[in-house]
Amino acid sequence: MSAESSHPANAGVRAWPPAVCCMTRFEQRPTPILFGSIAILAIALFIVDSLTTLGVTDWILYLIPMVLALFLWRPQTPLIMAGVITVLMTAGFLLSPPGINPEVAKINRILGAVMIWGVAGIATQFIRVKLRLSRQEWLHRGQTGLGERIRGDQNLGSLGENVLRFLAEYLDAQSGALFVKDHDDFVRVAGYALPAGSGLPQRVAPGEGLVGEAIRSNRAFFIKDLPKEYFSIASSLGRGQPRHVLVAPATADREATGALELSFVHPVYDSDLELLNRVAESIGIALRSALDRRRMRELLEETQRQAEELQAQSEELRVSNEELAEQSRALQESQARLELQQVELEQSNQQLEKHSGLLETQKEELSRAKSGLENQARELARASRYKSEFLANMSHELRTPLNSSLILAKLLADNREGNLTPEQIKYAQTIESAGNDLLTLITDILDLSKIEAGRMEVKIKPVDLRREMEDLRRIFQPLAADKNLQFQIDFAPGAPTRLETDPQKLQQVLKNLLANAIKFTQHGEVALLISGAADGPVAFAVHDTGIGIPADQHRSIFEPFQQGEGGASRKHGGTGLGLSISRELARLLGGRIELESKVGLGSTFTVLLPAVYSALAAARAPEPPKDEARIEAARPAAARPPPAELVRATAVEDDREILTGSRRTALVIEDDAAFAGILSDIAHELSFQCLIAGSAEDGLLLARQYTPSAVLLDIGLPDNSGLSVLDRLKRDPHTRHIPVHVISASDHAETALGMGAAGYLLKPVRREQIVQAFKQLETRLEQRVRRVLVVEDDPVQLESMRRLIGSDGVEAIGARDAAECLRVLRETTVDCMILDLNLPDSSGFELLETLARDERHPFPPVIIYTGRELTPEEEQRLRRYSKSIIIKGAKSPERLLDEVTLFLHQVVSELPAEQQKLIERARHRDASLEHKRILVVEDDVRNVFALTSVLEPTGANVQVARNGREALAALERAQAGGAPPVDLVLMDIMMPEMDGLAAMREIRRRPSWKKLPIIALTAKAMKSDQEQCLAAGANDYIAKPLDVEKLLSLVRVWMPR
Amino acid sequence: MQLKTEDIELRLLLEAIEKRYHYDFKEYSRASLKRRLTRAREHFQCRSFSLLQDLVLHNADMLPRLLPFLTVQVSEMFRDPAYFRGLRERVVPHLRTYPSLKVWVAGCGSGEELYSLVILFREEGLEQRTLFYGTDINPAALKEARAGVYSLERIPQFTENHRASGGPCSLSHYYTAAYGRAVLDKSLRARAVFADHSLVSDAVFAEVQLVSCRNVLIYFNRELQDRALGLFKDALVRRGFLGLGARESLRLSRHAGEFEEFVPGERIYQRKGG
Repeated sequence: MSAESSHPANAGVRAWPPAVCCMTRFEQRPTPILFGSIAILAIALFIVDSLTTLGVTDWILYLIPMVLALFLWRPQTPLIMAGVITVLMTAGFLLSPPGINPEVAKINRILGAVMIWGVAGIATQFIRVKLRLSRQEWLHRGQTGLGERIRGDQNLGSLGENVLRFLAEYLDAQSGALFVKDHDDFVRVAGYALPAGSGLPQRVAPGEGLVGEAIRSNRAFFIKDLPKEYFSIASSLGRGQPRHVLVAPATADREATGALELSFVHPVYDSDLELLNRVAESIGIALRSALDRRRMRELLEETQRQAEELQAQSEELRVSNEELAEQSRALQESQARLELQQVELEQSNQQLEKHSGLLETQKEELSRAKSGLENQARELARASRYKSEFLANMSHELRTPLNSSLILAKLLADNREGNLTPEQIKYAQTIESAGNDLLTLITDILDLSKIEAGRMEVKIKPVDLRREMEDLRRIFQPLAADKNLQFQIDFAPGAPTRLETDPQKLQQVLKNLLANAIKFTQHGEVALLISGAADGPVAFAVHDTGIGIPADQHRSIFEPFQQGEGGASRKHGGTGLGLSISRELARLLGGRIELESKVGLGSTFTVLLPAVYSALAAARAPEPPKDEARIEAARPAAARPPPAELVRATAVEDDREILTGSRRTALVIEDDAAFAGILSDIAHELSFQCLIAGSAEDGLLLARQYTPSAVLLDIGLPDNSGLSVLDRLKRDPHTRHIPVHVISASDHAETALGMGAAGYLLKPVRREQIVQAFKQLETRLEQRVRRVLVVEDDPVQLESMRRLIGSDGVEAIGARDAAECLRVLRETTVDCMILDLNLPDSSGFELLETLARDERHPFPPVIIYTGRELTPEEEQRLRRYSKSIIIKGAKSPERLLDEVTLFLHQVVSELPAEQQKLIERARHRDASLEHKRILVVEDDVRNVFALTSVLEPTGANVQVARNGREALAALERAQAGGAPPVDLVLMDIMMPEMDGLAAMREIRRRPSWKKLPIIALTAKAMKSDQEQCLAAGANDYIAKPLDVEKLLSLVRVWMPR
Repeated sequence: MQLKTEDIELRLLLEAIEKRYHYDFKEYSRASLKRRLTRAREHFQCRSFSLLQDLVLHNADMLPRLLPFLTVQVSEMFRDPAYFRGLRERVVPHLRTYPSLKVWVAGCGSGEELYSLVILFREEGLEQRTLFYGTDINPAALKEARAGVYSLERIPQFTENHRASGGPCSLSHYYTAAYGRAVLDKSLRARAVFADHSLVSDAVFAEVQLVSCRNVLIYFNRELQDRALGLFKDALVRRGFLGLGARESLRLSRHAGEFEEFVPGERIYQRKGG
């Protein structure tokens, strides 16, 4: 059997165009050295043989090249060699000088030649057998390899890929494609290294192109040295320069189920063809079963679809049936109804009479109530008038004695007699100035009370603004000059010069504002700009470059006795009533005052007055929002902590900007920048992210901010000893679990280790030691046993729970009462805690509250495991501490195990990146939300939890109501003073008892809550639903699922300032 | 050719309903929808869907009249008693471990199924800690559901189903019959929230322990079924339960891997943990 033989069925057409491939895959590649040495040896032997006398049997040495030829591993070479040697021996016989009898020599040589031919014959046979064996082995290996790839239930795509990849790699093909039968055509399901986007055919029909030919004739063949133009016509492998193509069908029961095509740059071997023929059946069967499986799935889906359709039809049938029944019933009913109506009519007649009687009584009650109300209103007016009168009288009474003391003090201070010491003169001056201050205050109070009592009269007349302003300039120019300030009064182009208002009041307001501006400005300028359109209001803008006013005080400074900062009064003097009076006066004139200011940059107070005063506009001028002002006033300025700022100013750059949650982080607390840099480099090498702090304070701050996986700590820090850092880290429940490695120049090893350090290195340290230290920290991070604390008073239960939970890597510790629980928590780090609510020494609620309050104890995640049923209030209370609550019962152990497993595997670093970002950002408190009270009306615990965890870190106080009714109750309580007032409401729509829409309508019905900002949370996507929210009274809405960023910005937008 | 024109009209009609009223029926199962809209067309005496479309687009009050045709409102209390028995015997013991529970009946129609669940939960002592959400896209059906009034003729069937589902007492405990109607006990409504919610466009609104959505998915095509099942998956707590209708199955859905069969044969599935 020749090496080129293939499947008997296609022995005839092996290649096309017909060409015989003489090489097989298993012949050695021609080795020139071996060839050369054989040739040289043969020639050398020939020369020696021709030079030696006849009879010297040196020709026997021809055996050597003969044997060497064996190693060319080609069946023909030994025979060719034998021929060559025979020729050479004959020539040698003729050329050798005579020696022994030529006849004898001839016989010798003939015998020798016979022997050589014998050897050649054996060698040829040997090579053939060897080649056949390795061919068989190669084929076998190919079949088994392929068999492995097509095992299992693969879908067509991956099966095709697997087959193709295996064959291409096994046969060294450059690219390939696999086609699978799809109805009548064949579709390409897999490609191997196919050029992308080439117009290669996706489908072929049997008989179309090479692949089609292979399918139709059901046999494999290869094509050698394809001419390019031909190639582009018939091959499905388009571009590139493959020179040889092998096409083979895949058959199942002699019917083609697929075909594959492989292209090569090297010639195709005959054995490749045979391999393909051998595996054709197994590939075919695999493809067929994949096809069958697909078909089965399609049928299954079809059946399901049909079942659903059938069900739908039967449902519809039921509907029509019901409708029919309904109609006949309706007919009957309408008859009955008609009869009923008669009776009802009579009844309603009687009822009407009764109603009219009732209405009469109600009317009487109403009028009674009305007169009661009127009485009360009169009472109120009288009380207020009394107050104002009292104030007016009082100030008059005060002024009289004050006046005389002022005059006397002035006389004294003038020292007419010249008999006072300078000291005494100063005293007298002090009395005078204090008295003057008191007088101003009294005047201000009087003004204010007059306005409030409505007794301030307005004298309206045309005002020439230019003259008025000139007056102001005269007064304030010198004052400004005293403080080296620029002072300007300008009219904007188009600004009116005439105004109809009360000039005195206007003067008073502007004087007040200008005096303030000069008072609070140290350098720069104070300017008054008058502007306004022809028919709009006139604006008087008093601008300064003074200290400015923080945004959160923009409202409160207009309240009586409020000034910028707490200390401002002392520094700048004044009664603190000026702005209040100004605001009231502006309102009296039908206008208002607006403020724009930034701390450190100055302020602009703008008085907006109507060009022509009208009594009606004055009455409509906005009432100051009293409620909000009260919150502002109630809030002590000092209690507002400065917003936490990121620690900056380290000499060495670190990774805080590019920190990702997925990698471990090491915090280096070291003031020596060079050494910190070295540590950082090593950390990076060991794939830690690195944070660097140059001082103890920074280090602590960073540790709390980022909760790193490990800390490297220096002892000699500029601001504080490293030992104190270590101590504080270990005391803080949030950082105590972090392993700390100390590296220091001074030896405090024992103290540090005693305080809980994970290791200690004495400077100077070698690089390897640092690496070692990191590795130590690393193992500590990895090898930690997870601990679960079970708090349960019943010993049997406790034991069984410990059994349930304890496993490799999970240690379950028991605690029988609250005291023991606290002790365990103090002493060890616990990953998760399971708590029974009934304990002998304290209730579970109290224990949880203790843990939450007491910073000394770390507070691990808690699973409540209790035998009692919980009221909604209790559950709400527990939810603040625990996300999972399990009621004991038949199926509870299952759930308990589930929850514990979940907790143990969800450590902070494994939280999704977005959540981490959230936590990260949440650490920055938000000044605009700080101390604001937000009422979250939402019944879904998960959402409440999410909202709380987003809002609380910004500094806002979150109050929860579970439905509309509770929300209203909460608001009423706040209004009655029973609770802090609510600044903003987040309102869910879908709630039990009273839904969000109803609640919002109810809220808007109360005048005092008209301005309360409400943001609706809706799961509905339709525009009409959102419009519904707005119509019900929401200021804005946000769709669920909630986008945290968007929610926060909405809250900021609507939060009253 | 005739058929093709009708299909185009149908598509345009659905498009019109979506653009005008934001009700998206485009991904409902076509065959059933076509039958139902054909009935609607006949009811409104329109010769073609195009004429119906004209009517729908220009009369805002057409939608409430058309909706009953588009959605199939039919159910009975304790329908498929074996399903409720499965809930009672297999699912309730798990639900007992939660301190508070939420149940979502998606596509609640006129409320029969939701009230069945309320009754079942009351009988199992879980009602007081449970909140029942019934959602549907048809406001008229929701109104009926809120009222909880059913024709007296249907009650015998309800009673039989209730008994077969393992109800320990007679259904008559829960209703008062008068004027040919049966009014369900008001207290059954105390823990129920009925709301307008569309599985096509709306999002998850709460975390629930049990979703019951029966004979709703059959009107959806595969994509919409997958969307609805995705919503259920997101709404359910880990290890929460999902109940489907008798001919509905998770097997071929994209979410099949996220649930496991819990009560075989009754189409009650449990969401996988982790």
